[in-house]
Amino acid sequence: MNLQWQNAWDAIWLSPYLGLFLTLLSFQFGLWLFRLSAQKPFLHPVMVSVVSLCALLLLTDLSFERYMDSAHMISQFLGPVIVALAIPLYENLKALRQYWLPFLLSNVLGGTITILVAVGILYLAGGSDMSVNSMWTKSITTAFALQIAPQIGGMAAIAAAIIMFTGILGALMAPALFRWFNINAAPAQGCALGVCAHAVGTSKALEYGSEQGAFAALSMSFMGILCAFALPFLLQTTG
Amino acid sequence: MLYGLIVFIAFLLLGDFLSALLAWPVPGSVMGMLMLFGVLVVRGGISAPLKQSSQGLLPYLPLFIVPASVGIVNYMDVVREEGLLIVTAMVVSLAVGIPVCGWLAQKAMAHKTGGRS
Repeated sequence: MNLQWQNAWDAIWLSPYLGLFLTLLSFQFGLWLFRLSAQKPFLHPVMVSVVSLCALLLLTDLSFERYMDSAHMISQFLGPVIVALAIPLYENLKALRQYWLPFLLSNVLGGTITILVAVGILYLAGGSDMSVNSMWTKSITTAFALQIAPQIGGMAAIAAAIIMFTGILGALMAPALFRWFNINAAPAQGCALGVCAHAVGTSKALEYGSEQGAFAALSMSFMGILCAFALPFLLQTTG
Repeated sequence: MLYGLIVFIAFLLLGDFLSALLAWPVPGSVMGMLMLFGVLVVRGGISAPLKQSSQGLLPYLPLFIVPASVGIVNYMDVVREEGLLIVTAMVVSLAVGIPVCGWLAQKAMAHKTGGRS
């Protein structure tokens, strides 16, 4: 019997399901590692999954384009899932009844300051237009930013990397900053984590308590909506 | 599960429709989310099937952002040349942003309770 090893290997390596399979596999591995490590922010499942997939793409002849042809169907769920965020947004809304003013102040003013500091430093230090434009999205959760970045002359993938690191660094830095600056109130901790560290910050906030979690989730959604409306109108598309 | 997915995609299409109609550069998904949110506020509640679908879908949100994030492999030159600068800008921005956001919220809370009582 003549075994066709090359063809058999190609059937896997060139399969239209390869990218889909590798994405699900690496994400499941990330989830497992995250749980095993007692939820260390830098072992976030997205981080583990993205880094291992990037390594594979850089080390083999599997191109991003061919990977994306297959993994594209996962990305397509992004639109419906953003719409679905209306449900937790509605459910968390009652937390705002008492604290809408602190919430708005922290989001609008605090959010603007943290974005301007990051963009300002990058711009003054001579960052490229593409990085500076992508940095505008730093306080938006990735799902939103992937759709907003191209509309303001940024690059979705660079924005995603910036947001991933902001989220992780924010979740790591927040506990010390809360201690040093005596930020003890639950809504204040939640807003700070949601505005500055979005999704990763929200899971950190849930470790503090459900009230922190609600405010973080609300801040994350509110910043996303605010930036979705404000940024494309404020910044002219360069592309 | 299916019912909710149909509702979410319907609102997504509605959002794309509205964004295109008004020529607003706002993602249709964000428009759709706001419209669904509006409907929930008007109706004053979430139907059980819709809630069930969102609970099935939302835990996988992080998975859905993975493929686009892997696109960074096409920009390794940007990572090499500007990576350190970008991380520095981020750390400074967080060191300022987290205390400021927290402080602003706490100040506003103190002001409100102080004024009322």
